[in-house]
Amino acid sequence: MTDQQVLVKALPAEPPPAARPAPGRRRARFDRQRTAMLLFIAPAAILYALMMIVPSLQSIQFSLTDWDGISDTFQYVGLRNYEDILTSGRFWNAVRNTLILGLGSAVVVNAIALGVAMMLDKLDHAQGFFRTIVYLPALVSGFIAATIWKYVLNYNFGAVNSTLKALGLDAQTRDWLGDHDIVLWVLLFIICFTLGGNTTLIYLANLQSVPQELVEAARIDGASRAQVFRYVTWPMLAGAVTVNMTLMMIAGWTIFDQIMVLTMGGPGFISETMAFFIYKVGFGEYRAGYGSAAAVVLFIVVMATTMIANRYMRSREIQA
Amino acid sequence: MSSANLSRRAVVKAGAAAAVAAPALAACGPSAGGGDGGGKTLIRFLYATGDATWNEVVAAVTEAFNAQSENVVVEPEPLPAAADYATALKTIDATGNWPALVDMRDTLTYMEAGKIAPIPESVTALLSDEVYSPAEDGSVYIVPSTALNGEIGFNIVYDKDYFEANGLAVPTTYAEFIALMDAIKANGDVPLAMAAAEVWPSDQIWKPLAAPTFAQYSESGGFWNTVEAGEATIADLREPMERLKTITDEYALEGWQSTQDAQTSTLLVNGQAIMATSSAGLGRLNDIAKVDPDYNAGLFIIPADDGTLNVLKNSVNGETASGIAISKQAQDDGAQYDAAVEFLEYYYSVEACDLMEATGVVSPNIKAAAEVTRNSSIPGAADYFGLLENPKLAWYENEPNNPNHSTFQTFFRQSRIEMMDDQITVDELIEKSQDEFEKNMAEG
Repeated sequence: MTDQQVLVKALPAEPPPAARPAPGRRRARFDRQRTAMLLFIAPAAILYALMMIVPSLQSIQFSLTDWDGISDTFQYVGLRNYEDILTSGRFWNAVRNTLILGLGSAVVVNAIALGVAMMLDKLDHAQGFFRTIVYLPALVSGFIAATIWKYVLNYNFGAVNSTLKALGLDAQTRDWLGDHDIVLWVLLFIICFTLGGNTTLIYLANLQSVPQELVEAARIDGASRAQVFRYVTWPMLAGAVTVNMTLMMIAGWTIFDQIMVLTMGGPGFISETMAFFIYKVGFGEYRAGYGSAAAVVLFIVVMATTMIANRYMRSREIQA
Repeated sequence: MSSANLSRRAVVKAGAAAAVAAPALAACGPSAGGGDGGGKTLIRFLYATGDATWNEVVAAVTEAFNAQSENVVVEPEPLPAAADYATALKTIDATGNWPALVDMRDTLTYMEAGKIAPIPESVTALLSDEVYSPAEDGSVYIVPSTALNGEIGFNIVYDKDYFEANGLAVPTTYAEFIALMDAIKANGDVPLAMAAAEVWPSDQIWKPLAAPTFAQYSESGGFWNTVEAGEATIADLREPMERLKTITDEYALEGWQSTQDAQTSTLLVNGQAIMATSSAGLGRLNDIAKVDPDYNAGLFIIPADDGTLNVLKNSVNGETASGIAISKQAQDDGAQYDAAVEFLEYYYSVEACDLMEATGVVSPNIKAAAEVTRNSSIPGAADYFGLLENPKLAWYENEPNNPNHSTFQTFFRQSRIEMMDDQITVDELIEKSQDEFEKNMAEG
């Protein structure tokens, strides 16, 4: 038996044309497979539809009513809730805060995460240890992290102000969570601090998959470190940038727990975000119809901005 | 085995198993109102942990009840002090998982929505007649959780030793109150600690300042109803608003915006402020005594210009009424309702009232009040009981009729903080509050 014969024998035999299932049987088998797949996903799909899709569609209905969220009855008020929202200074303040926290955290976290990922990538020793350290804050729930920050930043008892006073820097003490000039930036800092772990790991994974032959070729051609990053590494990370920016922006648009724990939207209304605004008017002020209308507007804003940003970022991606 | 090789029967079996498993898993969640407490009916009692003393009272009374009841176990369900209780209550309503017993807020709203059940005569018969009242349908929906002494617990708590050492006295007029704070400030100390982190504690300073204005409208239906009728406006509150601004700017300890209610006790005991706002009355004195048994605390009410101590009288079944209610969900269950009634009957017994007094709150006004052993051992308690007999004490009423009033109050509270925090002026506060009031009332 020749080598070629052995190879041919090892390959699965091509069924003779007469042995192939008839098109009707193939279709029946395909239908069975599809039915099986549908049955497997049905329980989850039904639950998802009942828990997510139906309430989401219902909030469009409620957004056109004066429902207080408790009573059995409500009246349709047309687009009045939308008119009230779009003419409300409080709502636009929440939109502004959401944009600052959403876009701000997306940019800051991505910049810091990329820098940290590059440092981790260059580590020759104990990379696992440092990777764990970087990821640890992401394991703490936003609620718990915010509660810890609340104590750390307390004006009268907090560690930050106590340390500043101990160092003789009394003039630098601030009411970090109560000063309306800085509270939003303090929130941005806290949010960035908590959300960086996942982003760093995604960048690190992408950095480690950048083809080394491209890097070496660039270096042989005389490219500096900065030029290697600018013309080789950075374009290869475009996909990761798209994913990370999109995830961070969506997380930013729906920031709620940090606001709830740290400031309750205050002092006054100054640090309300759209998600907190919806919760506050819908649940705290018995205006579920109004809150639903705000939720619909938030959905449109999230969809529009994410799609625009995504389209831009995808346009600059290249395939490795 | 690949999915392609699955028989139709196997697929149907898997699908059926999944369909059965989903609701079964869902059923693992908590049952509405309570559940099985080892053969007894388990019910939940939801309440706000405004102060440590109230927490202990609920724990002590439920524990004592559980020990003596043959059929019922009551499980206290405290909501964290930092939470906005009214909002949390609404969230619980949205989940459809009402506890059997609820420390109620915004009572009229929930009563009209049919979320709370009538309380039987076997419970109300234990109470003094003036502390409960039937609604329009003739049923009683709320009963008091503590002594119904209105807002007499909206006090200024102070360091008695400091007052004595510096020759200071409790003010008898508003001008004396300002002079008192000037004197403390002149000593190089901070006169007043306030809290607004949870938003609602900002009422502790606002309500006593606004009380003289509110009191003027007591006999004509209350201030808010008069504004709704167009016979008064929010601009009538300009003076208390300006006083609020002055006190905040001139005398309040910095950081009030992010200070929580319970932290004011610590600020007081630490000597970071000489006085602090409070709405817990005797409970706050008890908290302070627990933090520092040697701290010599006292309390007073901010007087009006003429020295009157205007105090809001409790509403017994209106929007501002607070107390204990039984949920409609418990009534639908039957056994839970019976369990809740059994607990309330115990709650208004002399034994439970003695426990409450011993733990540090003034017990509800029951018919057998004369048999209750009062607790006068808490430092400063004499000041509290003295207020009830003060000849300058004047009760006023201000119960809003519009069910949307709580919506407005939430907005008004946050707007006042904006003004206190220099984000808007008094004029802007008046203008935006009037607009919001008219909009909310029109929708009500």
